[in-house]
Amino acid sequence: MEDAAAIGNVVAQAGLLVLLGPLVTGFIQKLKARLQCRQGASLWQPYRDLAKLLRKGTVQSDSASPFFRAIPVLVLAATVTTTVMLPVLWAPSGPALLPLGDAILLLALLALARFLCAIGALDAGGAFGGMGASREMTVGLLVEPAMMMAVFSVAVAGGTTDLVHLAARRATLPALSWQAPDLLALFAMLVLALAETGRIPVDNPDTHLELTMLHEGMLLEHSGPGLACIVLATHTKQIVILTLVAALFFPLGLAEGSAPVEIALAGAAFLAKLFALATFLGLVESSYAKLRFFRLPQFLGLGLVCAFLALALRIL
Amino acid sequence: MSVDLATRLIDVLGALLLFSTLLILAAGQLFRAIYAVAVQSVFLAIAGAVLGAATGNPDLWIIAGITIVVKAVLLPWLLIWVVRRIQIPREIESVIPINATLGLAAGIVVLAFRLNASLGPVRQAITGNALPVGIAVILLGVLVMASRRKALVQMVGLFAMENGIFFTAMAVSQGMPLIIEVGVILDVVLGALVMGILVLRVRSSVDTDIADLESLRG
Amino acid sequence: MMTSSLLWLTPLLPFAVGLAMLLVRDRRVLATLDVAGSLAVLGLTLAITGRVVGGGPVSALGVLRADDVAVLFLVLIGLLAVAVSLATLGWMRHQLARGQMRADRLPYYYALVHGFVATMLVTVLADNLGILWIAMEGTTITSALLVGFHGDKHGLEAAWKYIIVTTIGISFGLFGTVLVYGAAAHAQGGVLAGAMNWSSIVAIAPRLDPGIIRIGFIFVMVGYGTKAGLAPVHMWLPDAHSQAPTPVSALLSGALIKCALFGIIRFHTIARAACGPAFSQGLLLTFGLASVVVATPFILAQHDLKRLLGYHSVEHVGIIALGLGFGGRLGTYGALLHVINHGVTKALVFLVAGDAIGRYGTRDMRLIRGLLGIAPLAGTLMLMGAFSLAGTPPFSIFISELMVIQAGIAAGRYVMVAAFLVVVVLIFAGLIHHVGQMVFGTAAAGASREPESAVPMLGLLLLAAAMLLLGVYMPGGLDHVLVRATEIIVG
Repeated sequence: MEDAAAIGNVVAQAGLLVLLGPLVTGFIQKLKARLQCRQGASLWQPYRDLAKLLRKGTVQSDSASPFFRAIPVLVLAATVTTTVMLPVLWAPSGPALLPLGDAILLLALLALARFLCAIGALDAGGAFGGMGASREMTVGLLVEPAMMMAVFSVAVAGGTTDLVHLAARRATLPALSWQAPDLLALFAMLVLALAETGRIPVDNPDTHLELTMLHEGMLLEHSGPGLACIVLATHTKQIVILTLVAALFFPLGLAEGSAPVEIALAGAAFLAKLFALATFLGLVESSYAKLRFFRLPQFLGLGLVCAFLALALRIL
Repeated sequence: MSVDLATRLIDVLGALLLFSTLLILAAGQLFRAIYAVAVQSVFLAIAGAVLGAATGNPDLWIIAGITIVVKAVLLPWLLIWVVRRIQIPREIESVIPINATLGLAAGIVVLAFRLNASLGPVRQAITGNALPVGIAVILLGVLVMASRRKALVQMVGLFAMENGIFFTAMAVSQGMPLIIEVGVILDVVLGALVMGILVLRVRSSVDTDIADLESLRG
Repeated sequence: MMTSSLLWLTPLLPFAVGLAMLLVRDRRVLATLDVAGSLAVLGLTLAITGRVVGGGPVSALGVLRADDVAVLFLVLIGLLAVAVSLATLGWMRHQLARGQMRADRLPYYYALVHGFVATMLVTVLADNLGILWIAMEGTTITSALLVGFHGDKHGLEAAWKYIIVTTIGISFGLFGTVLVYGAAAHAQGGVLAGAMNWSSIVAIAPRLDPGIIRIGFIFVMVGYGTKAGLAPVHMWLPDAHSQAPTPVSALLSGALIKCALFGIIRFHTIARAACGPAFSQGLLLTFGLASVVVATPFILAQHDLKRLLGYHSVEHVGIIALGLGFGGRLGTYGALLHVINHGVTKALVFLVAGDAIGRYGTRDMRLIRGLLGIAPLAGTLMLMGAFSLAGTPPFSIFISELMVIQAGIAAGRYVMVAAFLVVVVLIFAGLIHHVGQMVFGTAAAGASREPESAVPMLGLLLLAAAMLLLGVYMPGGLDHVLVRATEIIVG
């Protein structure tokens, strides 16, 4: 019985994240539009785009192998799986009933999705795909270790890598118990989140200009439902990263039991955190220019150094 | 304010100070480095106010006020004024790649914290982690000055370094005597003025950056 | 009461004179004020010396304090101020005649020189270590403007390098000061009155935490060492010494770098008591030997006369650091004596060099020939100064170098002594070679053969007399002060 409830919780949370993913993107687009004094597309536009793509047929490059068809599904699967490892509304303080995976697995799955995406882009044989894949992997090389170090820095303090458990433990600490490594890890995560969500100044999600795009370059060869899968995976990855930051650094308002009031509060807190972070992304995107690609290591290097220091100072 | 809370706040401010120094190191543009050092000075002033509230020493409040006025407003304004006046390119050129300096910076910070960990009970004389943060910020400031080619960036590095020293100085027991702190700040301002004069004079006579002059050798 | 007001008056007087000079436009009045002000400073320092020798250390409100160590440096500054003022009379006339100095900027020049002297006086009189630092930074600011006073490209470059490098340096010094203060506050269990005063810190020095004092002393050593021109942080020194107006070069080399050494000596005294003599002496030895060794190749291969003298200052600061590092009464006594000897001699040689440069219109030693022929007195003084700098008897530097070497042998540092001797021999050869070529031979036709005027020469002769006197005879008063100063440092 308890297992069933736990499974229900996990599935509900995962479903919530997947469903909310496009909304976050829509919100950021709307925010950017308003900051540029434009009306902008509706908040629901990403959902409409997805629906449109799902209705369309698939066109595929002649040179692509049969494996190419499986790529979008695999990417989506890897990304969606990460959603079950995050505390969204519930964070029971006891030992986890369903050990579904921890932060290490989460980061590994995201890396796997990135790898699959790049493989798919190379498989299709287009020039832009290869270029986008190469750039994306270069960014990944800098982002992934930094992200791991930042997460570990918090994990060392919490004594566990299970994110639900970690959030529950950190939620019990008093408000001002932040130490220097926490702050540094937060800075690192904010810098890295910009890269992981494919936002300016690292990547420009709104462009298909070959000189500037990273992530979009890899999607050029996909179409129809396949493209819909990858786009949904991108939305999901974005919300997963934001939830990860919220879980690591702002684990306030998470519900312990299943009382309706508690859950309502947890939901409100979650939405507040999510949209605060989304606002941050939108503001950064509106106030900075995209960096030249060979300037990126410098920007991400800042994240890397902060993450390294966060871990080093925690261990020292 | 309790001493314990003050210690925690100083730790947090120390992290912010470190982060703003890293921002200066990573800055690719002159203005960003100047803003970063101004923000750093604001953190320093907050630290002064926190320590003033914790120890009940009114001198620290005065120092916090002076810090805001002089270091967060006056000196950055002076730098910006000089930049506008001489119309130089705003991009920062580095002698060694910026990423290499960031790597060095990580090493320096770890070293500073290790050094602090090796000290005995005397650490209590200095609140929180102000000592390692101070050492780290000073050395990072030197790194900025050593690795950047522009006179104005070197001045930014110098101000960052002074901020590190002040941070530690405030956290020592109850801060240095007021008269000394004021004298030190006065020296910093005068030094900055003289540096500004030198930069402007070179720019007006030979139209290069003063830090680029390399005729004196051997 | 009377004595403590003397302490206040000593730095305030040149400061006030400097301010007054800003209002004066007349050249003659300025020069007279300059000499009179310097003479008054010398008088005041001698008066303080009298009180200290007679009645022990005097203190003023816990801010200023004069003991036997401070007195040595005080008198050196006073003596150099007078000699430089006298020499400036002749030097300035030439500068104005050749249009290298604009008459309307004269008040600023004189005022800055007096401000520079005032800050140096505060440095050596400071009891409060914070005041010591503030005054030290003050010397940087005033003298940086003087180094770049000519406003040409090289001068400005040297001034920039000087102010940036030494400001970084003494920022390290400030941090070291903060750490020592923190240790003192910790040892006292709270902040008591005068917790930043050297005299009260020394009194509790054995109780200070050695770990933090060690870190603090490293910062101070690097910081004030930069200002003192110790290798490897001496980069600014040859540039600033060569580009500054000659009287300023004499003050920089003769007095300023000694003030920085004074700061190091103050902290060395604390560190000795707090964590045993081995640590700070080892650090001093490292910096000292590095300076002596690094300076050598630059001295041998140098063509610029003032750069040569600049590198030579690096070497001699190294010798003083070695003396302090070998430790013991003999080494410390020798180092302190060397402070005086080198200050006097180097100022003399700089001033003579300024005269020679004025006559030949170049600083390139290959173009200066036959100084003895066109200016017999200056040529003789140049030769004497060079022999003294190279460490030849009967001049004063020989005595103090010998003491340093004796102390090294007594301390069992044979390798260092051997390296030091080799370097000294090399420098002797290089220096005498350079100076010999400049002094002897026949002068080029373009050189100025103007007869030497008496009053400026008076300043040079004053220094030369001190140099010779200290080589053959040790005045009882000086010996007394040196012995007591040694006791203060070594305990």
